[in-house]
Order: sequence, then structure tokens, then C-alpha cells
Amino acid sequence: MISSDRPSQRLILEAGRADRQYWRDLWRYRELFFILAWRDVAVRYKQTVIGLAWAFVRPFITMVVFTIVFGKLAKLPTEGAAPYAVLVFAGLLPWTLASSILSDASGSVLTNSQLVSKVYFPRIIIPFATVMVGLVDFCVSLVILAGVMLWYGVVPDWHILMLPLFVALAVLVAIGPALWAAAIVVKYRDFRFVIPFVVQIGLYVSPVGFSAKVVPPEWQLLYSINPMVGVIDGFRWAILGGDSPLYLPGFAVSLLVTAFMLWLGIRTFRRTERGFADLI
Amino acid sequence: MSSSTSSEIVVEAKNLGKAFQLYAHRNDWLKQVLLGWWKAYFKPFWVLRDISLEVKKGESIGILGRNGCGKSTLLQVICGMTLPSHGELRVNGRIAPVLALGSTFDMELSGRENVLIGGAVLGLKRSEVLRKFDSIAEFAGIGEYMDQPVKHYSMGMRTRLAFSICAHVEAEILVVDEALSVGDAAFQRKCLDWIDNFRKTGTLLFVSHSMAEVRRLCTRAIWIEEGRIREQGDPNDVIRSYHRALLVEKDDVQRFSSGNAKQAAAGE
Repeated sequence: MISSDRPSQRLILEAGRADRQYWRDLWRYRELFFILAWRDVAVRYKQTVIGLAWAFVRPFITMVVFTIVFGKLAKLPTEGAAPYAVLVFAGLLPWTLASSILSDASGSVLTNSQLVSKVYFPRIIIPFATVMVGLVDFCVSLVILAGVMLWYGVVPDWHILMLPLFVALAVLVAIGPALWAAAIVVKYRDFRFVIPFVVQIGLYVSPVGFSAKVVPPEWQLLYSINPMVGVIDGFRWAILGGDSPLYLPGFAVSLLVTAFMLWLGIRTFRRTERGFADLI
Repeated sequence: MSSSTSSEIVVEAKNLGKAFQLYAHRNDWLKQVLLGWWKAYFKPFWVLRDISLEVKKGESIGILGRNGCGKSTLLQVICGMTLPSHGELRVNGRIAPVLALGSTFDMELSGRENVLIGGAVLGLKRSEVLRKFDSIAEFAGIGEYMDQPVKHYSMGMRTRLAFSICAHVEAEILVVDEALSVGDAAFQRKCLDWIDNFRKTGTLLFVSHSMAEVRRLCTRAIWIEEGRIREQGDPNDVIRSYHRALLVEKDDVQRFSSGNAKQAAAGE
């Protein structure tokens, strides 16, 4: 009955000692990652009337509002010759991706409490699986961006080839703090209220509705401590090309902050995940 | 490899203990968070104490005990759900927890989709699940409901599906925690027959309040009381002493609270 092609599974638990085989476990459960990701996508638009169309409607309306408020009313400058709507949308794309990952992943351990409290598997799969939902919505938004660029007659140059790199960066920026919050929120549910607040404030302190070049040059470096500045700058550089040059020192700062938060997130999650079942 | 010798023992626990933090007042929790480095504001509540246990391959262990004695916590620790507070545990083999799986189902998704998730949670590949799907559906015997959301299922149907998935993961260790009491008699018999057959190749950890089931399926019984092993050995002997104890020690409504007070006092 027991098939011989599968290696026997071993589990060794000793109080107060970290599980050495964790990363091997993670590899063994890779299929679970894809299935949870697929489930998150499948459940997301269940019992909605217009379904995936929500992924079109929300970013589009946000773009229109931001273009009117920041471009027409506040009369903020665009970058080079780029139409303001394209500038806004190039910022909105990574922002929506990162903020949805941050909100979904940070609550994911709690929303999957029935799994976490009943069966063993490396818990870090759960927040990572939610990334896929954000990416699906992101792909839909890319289609709108293409439409908007076509409308304004904006043609991207070779810079656009670098876009996947910045997509990956947007994911990393979000997943670091999300892992940290996902672990902390299990014990301190207060953070359920903190995350939406951070997302809300983040929209205004990140250069989503306006160009990062609006910030005075002497503050640029400090501003880049917000890692979304680097990501959004990168997106605009990739989409608008020469019209939006990349501010390299600031980008480096954003990368450093991202790396630090990723390290902190994974470390916090790994240290607390064994206790999740006791707290949920 | 030394697997021939080490595979003989599939579960080995040494001095396992598990304590939860118990707070007398809500504020004590905040004090613990802020001032925990200074002094402890909680009382340890020992659910398991000094459990030492060896389970050999092919054994069937029946676990007895009254509500709240620590049976389920012991199984949780063995399944790797939660870390023991002290002690050591070695488990060698794939575990399938039967009841546990039923409560992990996603209510919005269909039975079919939950089979995929359940299989993956227990470490099966997607292709393996798909290959076994017809067999899983047949064993569960819920027919058309397979494509309905699980929220429309009855408790019995959920249990059927969960048991059926667990029966197909080719587990080496099967953990059955009071799972069968919700199924109807015919399904219970089907499951018991299946477990009976499973025992020829695998190891069974079986929690039940039905002594007849324990007698039928188990080669050894373990009686747990207040987190300790009170007696173990031949199922008939253990069940007899357990029954005798139940007659003498009537169901005490103060059991849980007085137990806490006793333990709190012992913790100081």
C-alpha cells in the first residue's frame, strides 16, 4: 500500500529548538503553494455579479479621479511630455499591487485559521500564496494601461523590458512588512486595524498621484526611505522611458530598506509560526 | 541506511509536556506583554505532563480519557501542530489526521476543489490527487454534492469527504480523533473496515469514547488523565480500570475549574 517511490517523512520536534528541515519541507509542499494561490484567486470574485470586471473598474476610476484632482485641480507638473493620466497610472499599478499584497498577506494567517489550527505544513506558504491574487489583478490593470497609452499615443521604448524586474521589486517591498504583520497579528490583533491605516496613509506619502520629482532635491534621498518611491520611480522609468530618468541614490536607499524589511519579515514569521496553532 | 532499525519505532516521545499561559485578569496579558521580561504575569496551565511513549510500526493505539484530559493536545503535538513546552518527539512517517481535515474545508468551494486542497495539505501532488479522484469520490459516496459548495454539506457529509481523502493519502500513521461518531452506521462500518485493513500496513492512533471500537481495533490502549498516562497495556485491562474509575469518580462539574486552581497553586 505504501508506495516506495516517496521518501519516508520524518518529523523531529524538540522544545525550544528550531526545525532544521524547514526549508526542505517548504520545497516538499510547493504544490500546496500553487493550490492555495489558485484557491485565493477562485474565491476572490465568488458571489460577485461582475466578477473579474472589478479588477478593471477600481483602478480605472482611481486613475480618472487622481488625474482630475492632482493634474487638473492641483496642477502638479507631469514628467517630460508624458500625459498626466499615464503618469498616474504608472504609479497606481505598483501601488495597487503592493498595497493589496500587504493587506491580503498580513491577514492571511488569521483568515486561514482553520488550516493553521488543524494540520501541519510550513505556514509561510499562506502569505506567499496571496501574492498570486495581487498579480492576477495587476495583469488586468496592465491591459488598461496599454489601452490608456494607446489612447494618448504613448509608445514605450526598450525600458519597458525592465518592467518585470520592478514588478518583482513591488512584490518584495510588500511581502516583507506583510510577513511581519501576518505573524504579529496572530498574537496582537490590534494590527488588523493598523494595516488598513498604513495602506491609506501610504497612498498619500508615496508618489502615486504625483511625480516624485515634486519633492525638493535636498529631500529626495530621505523621501526614498519609503521603498515605494523606488518602485514607482522604476515603473515610470520603464514605462515613460527618457521622460522619467531614474534617481539612482534614492533607488539604492529604497532597495536597502526593502532588503531589511524582507529579512525582518521572514525572521519574525519563522520565529513565531510554530506557536500559531496555540494562539488562533 | 539505518532505516531498518529506526523505522521500527514510528512515534517516540520523551517527557513531553505542554503548558498554555493562563491569565487571571485581562489586564495581566497586557502587563505580560509590556513587563514580561521583569516577572511572569501568567500561570502555566499544564495540559500534558511527562508523557513518554513509544509506538512501533504496525501498532494500533487506542487513547482513552475524559473530556479535557489532554488527548487531543497530545495528538496535536504528534501531528506537529504545536510545539511541546519541554521534551522531545520523533515521528517517522506521513501522518493523516482524519477529523482535523474536515474542519479545514473552505466553505465557499466545492467538494471537488476541497479534495485538491485537502490532498495538498496532506502532502499529495496535484497529479496524484487527480489520479485518485474517482476513488475518493466513490468512497465518500456523496454523489452530486461533490460539485456543490461545502457550506451546503451536512456534518456527516463533510466527515465522509474528509475520511475519504485521508484514506487515499497513503499515510503511514493514521490519526483518528473521535471522527466517526457523526457518520451514519453504514458509513461508520465502512470506515472501521477500512481502518481494520489499514492496520495491516500502517500505524494507528485512535481516540474514541466507544470502547467497542477500541476493543475491536487496538492492540494497546493508553489512558490519559490530567495530562499524564495513568495506565497503558492490553485494551481489555485498561478499559476495565477506566470504566471502574468512571463509576467511582462521578462527573464532577467542578473538574475543570478546580483542576485549574490546583494547577495554578502547583505552578507557584
